[in-house]
Amino acid sequence: MKKIYIVAILMIVAAIALLTTAADDMSTYATFSQATRSGDRVKIAGQLSKDKEMYYNPAEDPNYFSFYIKDTEGEERKVVLLSEKPQDFELSEQIVLTGQMKDEAFVATDMLMKCPSKYKDEEVYIKNEGK
Amino acid sequence: MQDIQYIGEHLLPGQVGQAAIVASFVASLFAGISYFFATQRRDTEEYETWRGMGRWGFLVHGLSIFTIIGVMFYLMVNQYYEYQYVQAHVSEDLPFKYIFSAFWEGQEGSFLLWMFWHVILGLVLMATARQWEAPTLSILSLIQLFIGSMILGIYVGFGDEPSRLGSNPLMLLRDVMDAPIFAKADYAAQLTGSGLNPLLQNYWMTIHPPTLFLGFASTSIPFCYAIAALWTKEHKAWLQPTLRWALFSGGILGIGILMGGAWAYEALSFGGYWAWDPVENMSLVPWLILVAGIHTNLIARSTGHSVRSTYIYYLLTFLFIVYSTFLTRSGVLGDTSVHAFTEMGLEWQLVAFIVFFLGLSGAMMALRFKGIPSPQKEEDTASKEFWMFIGTLVLLFSALIITASTSLPVYNKIVQFFDPAFEGRVITDPEPHYNKYQLWIAIFIGVLSGIAQYLRYRETNFKKYASKFGLHTGIALAATAVLTYIATLWIEAKAWQYLVLLFFGIFTIATNVDYLLTFIRGNLKLAGSAFSHIGFGIMVVGILASGLNKRIISNNPFVMDGLIEGATSEELRRNILLFKDSPLIMPPYEVTYIADTVDTFTRTFTVNYKRRDKEGNVVEEFNLHPNVLYDKSFTKIAASNPSTKRYWNRDIFTHIASLPQVEIDMEYRRQREDSLNYQVLNAPIGQSVSLVDTVPLKEVDTFVVKTYRATVEHINRTPTHPDYQPEEGDIAIGATIQVERDDEEGVFTVNPVLVLRGQLLYSYPEQINALNAKVRLNEGVFDAVFSPETDLDYRSFTFRQGDKIEYNGYQIQFAGFNRKPEHPNYVPREEDVAVSAMISVQAPDGNSYLAQPVYLIRGNRPFNLKDEIPEKGLHFRFTGIDPTSETVELQIAQASKTTQAIPIELATNSLRSDYIVLEAIEFPGINLFWFGATLMMLGMFVSMGRRIGKSV
Repeated sequence: MKKIYIVAILMIVAAIALLTTAADDMSTYATFSQATRSGDRVKIAGQLSKDKEMYYNPAEDPNYFSFYIKDTEGEERKVVLLSEKPQDFELSEQIVLTGQMKDEAFVATDMLMKCPSKYKDEEVYIKNEGK
Repeated sequence: MQDIQYIGEHLLPGQVGQAAIVASFVASLFAGISYFFATQRRDTEEYETWRGMGRWGFLVHGLSIFTIIGVMFYLMVNQYYEYQYVQAHVSEDLPFKYIFSAFWEGQEGSFLLWMFWHVILGLVLMATARQWEAPTLSILSLIQLFIGSMILGIYVGFGDEPSRLGSNPLMLLRDVMDAPIFAKADYAAQLTGSGLNPLLQNYWMTIHPPTLFLGFASTSIPFCYAIAALWTKEHKAWLQPTLRWALFSGGILGIGILMGGAWAYEALSFGGYWAWDPVENMSLVPWLILVAGIHTNLIARSTGHSVRSTYIYYLLTFLFIVYSTFLTRSGVLGDTSVHAFTEMGLEWQLVAFIVFFLGLSGAMMALRFKGIPSPQKEEDTASKEFWMFIGTLVLLFSALIITASTSLPVYNKIVQFFDPAFEGRVITDPEPHYNKYQLWIAIFIGVLSGIAQYLRYRETNFKKYASKFGLHTGIALAATAVLTYIATLWIEAKAWQYLVLLFFGIFTIATNVDYLLTFIRGNLKLAGSAFSHIGFGIMVVGILASGLNKRIISNNPFVMDGLIEGATSEELRRNILLFKDSPLIMPPYEVTYIADTVDTFTRTFTVNYKRRDKEGNVVEEFNLHPNVLYDKSFTKIAASNPSTKRYWNRDIFTHIASLPQVEIDMEYRRQREDSLNYQVLNAPIGQSVSLVDTVPLKEVDTFVVKTYRATVEHINRTPTHPDYQPEEGDIAIGATIQVERDDEEGVFTVNPVLVLRGQLLYSYPEQINALNAKVRLNEGVFDAVFSPETDLDYRSFTFRQGDKIEYNGYQIQFAGFNRKPEHPNYVPREEDVAVSAMISVQAPDGNSYLAQPVYLIRGNRPFNLKDEIPEKGLHFRFTGIDPTSETVELQIAQASKTTQAIPIELATNSLRSDYIVLEAIEFPGINLFWFGATLMMLGMFVSMGRRIGKSV
């Protein structure tokens, strides 16, 4: 089985080499201040500021949706998502954005929303006509 | 609360189901133990007894599972909302066809689906596995025991907070949550269901989960065989029966995964079939390892090599299924996946599931490793088995790097457990990350599955064979070069790595077609592997074509370039605004949003695509029908379903990305309508009136003055409006109004309608989109148009046919009778005797008119229906006929005033809403992907079919 072992060892070497390059693809969740400093493309996790303006007017630009989130350090910034406003956006609790800082706003190309699960929903659904 | 005697609850089926849950759990334990002793004492006379007990145990277990499922369906079909699972997944308006989808929407239902398939497969084993029955079913029962614990829902431990084992699908809502409503004894009748997520109300949700779970369940069988063989030291005999099961499993699991992709592509708006989402990855990983196992299994059967690897691969396959269950169901993927379940307290049970079977597998392998036979002589480098084995290592390697990246959240959790300050790491852009590694895997697989087909098992004398091998490889390479060149004319490779992949994808096709024709001479029974490998090659070409050359047609031409480093503008701006009836050029198409129709909660749009040649002739035209599904309250869009035009060589995919807010939320629309600032204008017919509107400019402290002009052209007593459905007794008035604005070119004609139905007024306004204006009629229009009957001073005249009189300067002639009278307010009945008088009127100004008042006898009583000439205010009644003298009596009156000015209302802040936000993507060659991938799975079934006939 010697040759097989050689191949296996080669693969392990390749795997280690790949993993070192893969480190470049990874990052920690950034904060707005880090994103501003580095200027890199990063992922930011934050809470939607529900009291701030959410702006989407497709008649003006169907690929421009802006809102505000608070990052993990509590810093609140404007976010521009270059896409339509997703459904149920107002309900989202946690938002993960991929993008970079551009002037004062964080320009995101990708967004993942975490919505409250209905399993956790404490509300009991009562028939409307029953009231 | 305990004292309340609840009424209207259906507790019996729940109790039956609870009993079945406990019975299934206990019976699987019993079956597992019995089969364990049957295996341990397989050479003694006790064997039969133990096996018999095992069978009974497993049958009772199976029956209990069917009972639980049956009870749950019973509760769901009857909508007994006092049960938490029913309340969470069913609703009154859920179509019956989605009851299955609702069943496996929740975690508990999908666990039951998994167990259901295990029972079915276990029964097949019981009937066919002979000496393997006892050990395999012992292991399978053990697996069932673990999955069964997930739905047990009993509390173990002591103290104030005993931990709960499993989540019971038959819990009553009042036991799960605390709410004031449970203080009422008859609360059950007042509950309603929350229903199935509209995104899941799709036929794919009916067929994808059962197929995928059959795939999951079927991986347990090679696992059971592997443990059984290690246990009984039958290291050779297990290879044959296991191979069939592994091929079956590979095919089904593969199809299950593909269906997920097809669902995402066809029914969801993801705009693709694979996104490297963790949930997708973790269903692919076991499949890859299983395929590796199938290959070493083949080697082991033909040469005796690789038995150990076969064990390891089959054990790993199942372990990765369990690991994937853990990842998708524990909530650990919450931040990184769009479709993982949320946590529900099963994490530690799932960890125990993995740890137990990992421990079992590891221990069995360690105990038996030395005893597993393996030939002294190593594989020859020119032998088929050598290169096949390398191939399986490549597959394993692929699986492990996908797992490593996907497990990042698990790694984060573990490190954070020891070091809470650790910041979790995350892959910034997953798709390129996975693609760049899997690209090379696919290239290796392409090379290996090409040349390995030409090699022979247990090669002893390659020198003799080398020329044949060289010849075929040479021909295949030449054919591949030509085909690759042709392919590049059609699809752009974009980077040299992709060109290499394209080359070796085609190389696999060429070599395997050659193998099919010249080595096995078209013998279809042996063609399974060739089919699968050809399928793989075609799939690779399809992925390159549809992925690399995917083109966003709805690319906004007005892009801001260079906004984001690394991302092209095409990727950034996927959506385009499409106004109704105004075509937009999205090369090569001219796209027009033509129409939309609403049917209950679904609104379907018609989008027309046209392609023209240089002369402007239409050479291609089709309509697509994407739709959106509103939620029950019409305040949001619950799902947006794409529509795809399929050609053999490309797809055009279209989906509604967004709509104007007033079209999404009817509540908002009402508010918006109420906030419109209508101004009344009194417009005499034919005269222009004007309105000056001041518009504040955003952010600047100035105003713009805009002047609107409106002219009422004429009044219509029988008006039509797209939204107005006439009913008997309606009094309806419409006006044709021309509106223009000084800063906007063109005159816009609108026809608003106002209807008086009983005591209620219904207004049908009209929107002028180009002016952002809305026009409606003021209710004063009735006074302006109609003269009250009491104000009229009728005079009687007697006419003979043809008589002419003069009245207030008008020449009035009775021209004759019409025995089939038509009158806006007259609906004929059979019993009626009705006739109208045809009266021609010559006005002093030279115009002539016709009036037709109606005289009728209904039920022996005479009636008359008046007619009028509104422009002149002339009113006519037909009040009697004298048959003897052949005369008629007509009453004529003229209103003191003619029609006054018409009060109309104009709102200048009504934003246009006749548009859709559209995403359109062209996927070239996507059918190659579907065809290739399906062929790959079919190849496995062909191989399995060949092996089923053979004896064990």
